[in-house]
Amino acid sequence: MKDSADRVARFVDELLHGRRPNRFEATQEEAEAMAAAVTLSAARVGADVPDKAALDRIHQRIAEALDESSAVDRRLSRRAWLRTAGAAAAAVVVGVGLDEVVRSRQESGAAGGTPTLLPDNGTWRPVAAVTQIPAGHAMPVSTASLDAVIVNDGGRITVVSGVCTHLGCKLQPDDANRKLNCPCHQTAFSWSGKVLYYRLKAAPANLPQIPSRVNNGQVELYIV
Amino acid sequence: MAVTELRVLSNPEPEGPGEHAAAIYPDWESVFQDNVVGIYQLVFRKVGNAADAEDLAEEVLMQTLKTLRLPAPVPAVRAYLVKTARTVLADHWRRHYAARDAANELEQIPIEIVANPDAVDRAQRLLGLLPDHFRNILELRFLRGYSVREAAHELGVTESNARVLQFRALRKAAELEREVLR
Repeated sequence: MKDSADRVARFVDELLHGRRPNRFEATQEEAEAMAAAVTLSAARVGADVPDKAALDRIHQRIAEALDESSAVDRRLSRRAWLRTAGAAAAAVVVGVGLDEVVRSRQESGAAGGTPTLLPDNGTWRPVAAVTQIPAGHAMPVSTASLDAVIVNDGGRITVVSGVCTHLGCKLQPDDANRKLNCPCHQTAFSWSGKVLYYRLKAAPANLPQIPSRVNNGQVELYIV
Repeated sequence: MAVTELRVLSNPEPEGPGEHAAAIYPDWESVFQDNVVGIYQLVFRKVGNAADAEDLAEEVLMQTLKTLRLPAPVPAVRAYLVKTARTVLADHWRRHYAARDAANELEQIPIEIVANPDAVDRAQRLLGLLPDHFRNILELRFLRGYSVREAAHELGVTESNARVLQFRALRKAAELEREVLR
C-alpha cells in the first residue's frame, strides 16, 4: 500500500506541477487512482487551455509531415497565416504606415490567404471603441459602404468582411468557437477569414480583410 | 468507421432551408483549425498534463489527416477524430503504465470534441460524494494546490499517512465515478 501510495503521490505531484509524469508499470489499483487524479487535475480552471506556442508546434509538424515535397511552400503559407492573424494589429501598435500593412496582406493573399479590401479614395473612419470588443470576442459593425466584423484575438484587433462570400448573408460571431457562422448555408469562417467548412458544391472564397488601425481608443477602418 | 466512408469527392449543393447535407472541410488546414483546440482539450482531460496532451493531440490529428481523403463532411471527420483519439489514448495508458483495464475502458466510454463540457461540474460532484476525510485531502491537493507536506500539516497527520490517505481517496473517487457518475 505504501509503495502504491508513494508512486501515485509522485504522479499527482507531476500533474499539479504541469510536468510530464514518469512512466512506470502501474497496478490496476494505481491506474484507477491515477485516472481519478487526471479527472481532478484537468478540472482545475484554465488547466486545459492550450498554449498558443503548443498549437503552433503541432501545426508546424503536421504541415511538414503531410507535404514534405512542398515544405517550403508550407512554411510560406504558415507565415502568411500568422501574418493574417497578427500583422495588422502589430503594425497598428508600432505605428507602421498603411502601405506596409497593405503590402503584408497582399503577400498573404498571394500565398493562399485572404484578399484585402482596399477601396479607391478610402479614408480612415472610426467604427467602434476598442473597449466595446473585449479580448476573445468578435463584434459586427455596419457602415454606409460595408458590413465588417471586428475581432479581438487576445488583445490583437483584426477586421474581416462581415458578409458570407457565398450569397451575401450576414455572418454571426460564435465567440466560444472562434468562428463566424453563416446562418444561411452552414458555412463557417475562422476569425482570420479562412473558410473552416461549408456545405456547398464548391468552397466559397475566404473573407476579405478590411484594413484597420486603433487610433485614440477607436477602431478605424480604411473605407469609403 | 471505415476510411472509405469518408471519401467524399463531391457534394450536391443544398440551397433549401429544409435540407441537411453535411458541411464540408475543404482541406487539412480547415480540419486543423476547427478541431485542434477541441482535440487538445479532449486529450488533456484523459492525461491531465500539457506535455502529454500536446504529443497526443498531434498524434491524433496526424493519424487522421494522413488517412483522410479531403474534402470530407464535418461530422464524418469529427467522428473519425474521436475514434482515433480513443485508440491513441488507450495506447498511451497501455504503453506507459501497463494499465490494460483503464485503456480498455477508454475505448468504451463516450468522449466528445467539446471544450470542457462538464469537467468542473463533474469533479465537484465527485468531491461532494466523498466522505469528509477523503474530500479534505483531495481539495487541499487539487483545488488549493497544497504539497503533500502542507496537506499533512493541515490535517495533522504524517506525510506518509497523507500519501496513503490521498491514494485511498483517489481510489474511492475512481469507484464513485465508475458507479455513480457514469
